[in-house]
Amino acid sequence: MTDNKQADEDVLRRAAIDRSARLPVLFFFTSAAVWLAISVVLGFIQSVKLYAPGFLDAPWLFFLNYGRSNPAFMGALVYGWAIQAGIGVAIWLMARLCRAEVKNPLTLVVAGHFWNLGVLIGVLGIFAGYGTSMEWLAFPRAVWPILLVAYSLMVVWLITMFQRREPGEVYISVWYILGASFWFPWVYITANVFIHILPGAAVAKAATNAWFMSSMIFLVLAPLGLASAYYFIPKILGRPVYSSQLAKIGFWGLAILGGWTGVQKFMGGPLPAWMPAVSGVAVILLLVPILAIAINHHMTIKGNHSLIETSPTMRFTAAGALAFTVFCILSALSAFFSLGQFTQISQTTMAFQLLAVYGFFSLTIFGAIYFIVPRLVGCEWPSGSRIRLHFWFSTYGIVSLVVLHFVGGIWQAAAYSQFDAPLENAVSAGRPYAIGASIAWASIMVSNVMFLYHLSLMVLRLGRRNENPTLLGHQHPAA
Amino acid sequence: MSSFRNFVLALAATFFAPWLCLIVIPHAKMKAQDIEVWEDKQLGTKSSYPAGTPNIFRQGQAIYAREGCALCHTQMIRPTYLGFESWRPGFGKAGTRDNPVRIRETLPGDFSGERFAYLGVQRVGPDLSNAGYRHDEDWHHVHLYDPRSKRDFSVMPSFRHLYTRRKVRGQRAKGALALAGQLDPGKGFEVVPTEAARALVGYLMTLKKDTPLPPAAGEQTQTPVAPAGADKVKKG
Repeated sequence: MTDNKQADEDVLRRAAIDRSARLPVLFFFTSAAVWLAISVVLGFIQSVKLYAPGFLDAPWLFFLNYGRSNPAFMGALVYGWAIQAGIGVAIWLMARLCRAEVKNPLTLVVAGHFWNLGVLIGVLGIFAGYGTSMEWLAFPRAVWPILLVAYSLMVVWLITMFQRREPGEVYISVWYILGASFWFPWVYITANVFIHILPGAAVAKAATNAWFMSSMIFLVLAPLGLASAYYFIPKILGRPVYSSQLAKIGFWGLAILGGWTGVQKFMGGPLPAWMPAVSGVAVILLLVPILAIAINHHMTIKGNHSLIETSPTMRFTAAGALAFTVFCILSALSAFFSLGQFTQISQTTMAFQLLAVYGFFSLTIFGAIYFIVPRLVGCEWPSGSRIRLHFWFSTYGIVSLVVLHFVGGIWQAAAYSQFDAPLENAVSAGRPYAIGASIAWASIMVSNVMFLYHLSLMVLRLGRRNENPTLLGHQHPAA
Repeated sequence: MSSFRNFVLALAATFFAPWLCLIVIPHAKMKAQDIEVWEDKQLGTKSSYPAGTPNIFRQGQAIYAREGCALCHTQMIRPTYLGFESWRPGFGKAGTRDNPVRIRETLPGDFSGERFAYLGVQRVGPDLSNAGYRHDEDWHHVHLYDPRSKRDFSVMPSFRHLYTRRKVRGQRAKGALALAGQLDPGKGFEVVPTEAARALVGYLMTLKKDTPLPPAAGEQTQTPVAPAGADKVKKG
């Protein structure tokens, strides 16, 4: 009897927490999904521009040139979609795991508006010709303080939620969220201050840029994505994480090594040789914590693979976690001269960035969104087949995109290396791969415009009124 | 609560080390780079590396950045053990018979005085480290206006928005582009570069990252001693 009462109280408590998180979390998810739709459309355009510069080339559309549409697409993808959706997931996870209600949801929404304003100014600024051409820092110089202030306002509430937590062991996902909240400002301030404000050697700034991008992946996106994976995989399976020891090794390994990575991009470049060397070693050593994380997830899932078939959250999360492992292995291999000479500065750059941001992070976050939103709006996803299509279009898209850009980059780098062959050979070597990539982009574009539509239905409470969650099998006919 | 403090301290400690080593120290050290001065006894000249005043056309570099040129073009000549892509014939200053290649790998000092080193993201187009040697300004203007008119295989976008088509008033403007065929602006009209286009081409013309090095650092750059009888061989 008391057990039942306890369970009832638990349900009520969870419902109260979800209610308190509803407004900010839905706000972040919806605006992030809008940015995602914008960025995939831009992504498609920039991918076509890479082999057919005449595409959409009316005189007044000059701002869609590859040099502007590519950074605008990346900015929208990373800052508009990835970080924003990640924060939405982090708020909900933090509230659930600390069993603390979200106080002042309005402050979060106001901060979210500022964040969106910053991204909007940034993207429009790039189109208007104020971009900086720096990777992941291409927004006009004036934008970063807006983003930083908005982020700080959001993170303060994550920390206060942690301070108000119910006593008990701190779950590994909370570690990751706290880590990301702590690393992002440090990494972001460092990069912007050292590149935009302080005078300094030009090449040191270029190295800082490379470091920034890698740190954003390993110390901001990875922790948020892993926090989500560490929560949802055990949650859906209904069993604890396989080993908390491995989880800790994974976390501290990432914390220790993540900040050393990135400069290997410029190996052989005009930098003191130890800098790329240290970064290369760090990326290779990172395989140890990544392996710990991967084994941990694998052992947790082991024997229950059927849930990947039926649960949307499980399927997206497992695919994302797999993509992270693949990303780390490819990064480590590229830190060697033998492969790195081809992958260093070529189309493969795109493969790496998209594998990290879309293949790993976005898929994981999609999984989280498919779990969280029904609990916030009180209805279930309207259509399982639409979720299935989203998954398959996304994974086919990202897998072919990564393969094409990776192989295409190596192929083109090899063609460029034939220094006595005509330049035409080298330029055209990348062409077939770029054409293939834009087909993959079309697939990603379709899947995410569909996702935005599906999510809007949920936000407008037009989902299924049903007790059973929407699964990927054929158990439930669409309402 | 002390466990939370320890957690944050541990995070700070783990992150501080790479932050210090990869960001702070390189920024501090590279700013104060030594300038090496040496004398060539055969020629009796004094040279220095880095050469001192930067000759980069800054306004042009800003256009280079805002148009996103750096996304497809590198400015980083890799050592030959990593690749030969930038060591193409004709990609640098014309060599001599005895010293055919005048290209060298990029070094930190080559960017001294610049705001940011646009080393590169992807290598879609050719390396631009020594672009200043390759073509004249008129060629660059026409190429920027319509890249396919110079190289039919090019995937570079047209930068028409940096040029103005206007009616010829009096004489044809001095900097007007020599366009023919389909690009011909029409009778009585001419296409002239804007300030931005002039700045961009000015920047491209200053891209000559091959300042000679002190002899010890690179043997290639020493003044070659002509072998006896070399003149006769050339003439014959």
